Amino acid sequence: MPEPATARAAEHHALVCEDIHKSFGTLEVLKGVSLSAKKGDVIAMLGSSGSGKSTFLRCINLLETPNSGQVYVGDELIRMETNKRGEPAPSDRAQVERLRTRLAMVFQSFNLWSHMTVLQNVIEAPVHVLKRPKREAIEQAEALLEKVGIHARKNDYPAHLSGGQQQRVAIARALAMDPDVMLFDEPTSALDPELVNEVLRVMKDLAEEGRTMIVVTHEMGFAREVSSETIFLHEGRIEEAGPPQEVFEHPKSERFQQFLAGNLK
Amino acid sequence: MDFSIITENISEYVNGLWLTVQLVSLSLLVGLVLSIPFAVMRSTERLFISGPVWLFTYCFRGTPLLVQMFLFYYGLGQLEFVKELSKSWTFLQDAYWYALLAFTLNTAAYTTEIIRGAIVATPFGEIEAARACGMSRGRVLRRIVLPSAFRRALPAYANEVIFMLHGSAVASLITLVDITGAARIINSRYYSPYEAFITAAIFYMALTFLIVWGFRQLEKRWHAHLKPRESN
Repeated sequence: MPEPATARAAEHHALVCEDIHKSFGTLEVLKGVSLSAKKGDVIAMLGSSGSGKSTFLRCINLLETPNSGQVYVGDELIRMETNKRGEPAPSDRAQVERLRTRLAMVFQSFNLWSHMTVLQNVIEAPVHVLKRPKREAIEQAEALLEKVGIHARKNDYPAHLSGGQQQRVAIARALAMDPDVMLFDEPTSALDPELVNEVLRVMKDLAEEGRTMIVVTHEMGFAREVSSETIFLHEGRIEEAGPPQEVFEHPKSERFQQFLAGNLK
Repeated sequence: MDFSIITENISEYVNGLWLTVQLVSLSLLVGLVLSIPFAVMRSTERLFISGPVWLFTYCFRGTPLLVQMFLFYYGLGQLEFVKELSKSWTFLQDAYWYALLAFTLNTAAYTTEIIRGAIVATPFGEIEAARACGMSRGRVLRRIVLPSAFRRALPAYANEVIFMLHGSAVASLITLVDITGAARIINSRYYSPYEAFITAAIFYMALTFLIVWGFRQLEKRWHAHLKPRESN
């Protein structure tokens, strides 16, 4: 289990989540999940569907509002309060918006803006959120598109690209924010098997560059080879966590053993 | 048929055309400007914001344009303070403004619902992606939701523009000489309904053709992302 983090410990981390709880109605999806990522860590989160791993990821950048728990981005705590209806809510929406620019997210269904070209998708947030000069943003975008191998399609619209190409554009869009932490929400689950590898290759390159990444995935091979820590979630709790060599070779939890056996078939 | 009466009186039609174009384009322009904030209000979940807009669109879509125009033209004229006002502001005696008011509110109501439908249909993932980039609510609306909604709304809005053009013929019932008004004058002067109204119909068709052509150009630019990929 990751050690309980305090604000002091958070100083040395890129991201710390402490005791995150989340319920939808009466269904408790997260029952206290903690995680801390140092700079350059690649944390793979595994778990069967319904284990809460995507919900946890979405709680980090507050696409879902956790019922309780703390999120530190760097050493900055996202301040929460209880609103008039008695629900948890961020106290300062501007703070959340600012911190989100440091937590780029890549979605399972890509979520590119369909009315914009590839290049427009990549420069949108740098120009309109980070207020960078447009020319600078275009230069950076072109370099990123080159890097993910899709520069030739920069003037195409998302609907004209394959899933793997769209996901690589989405990764370039996330990189364009120069984020401190990248959140990947099952980035290859919507892809045809032969397209999975082109996306995984890009993600592996990012890991080798020293990017801090939290990756919710079903790709065992990726978790095993690339991650610095693998976390297995089951029914809203962390069942197993540790370096991939350890957890894959000597899984302590019975559920994780079953999960691995089921996935190796 | 004797179309010489038309060529002799063509200036009636040209003046009528000018009035029709004025009424329709002004009401469409103001109606569109009104409808954007209305559509945004109408698509919120807060009842005290969306409720009044719902009532507005319900009333203006629920009644004929002709009835609305009569209510403004004859109805407002009955009010004491409007009678008083129109003594000093003589433009209030002009039917033009009542027609324009009715047309504007009518098209605003329809356009509000068209845009609302397009806003509601925005893929939620695109909104989440925008929020995840740190966009504020206002910026998500301006940069993602509205540009994408306008594109979706374009075909339905082209229809609304054509309906508005044809609907504007009712202006001729409150003394205004638009295209239909010109036709009615020629008809009563020469008792030649075919010549008079066929000419009016041709004017409306020509305008419709222009509108359709204009929207096709817009769609070419705005719907590039929906077209099948060109083979290369």
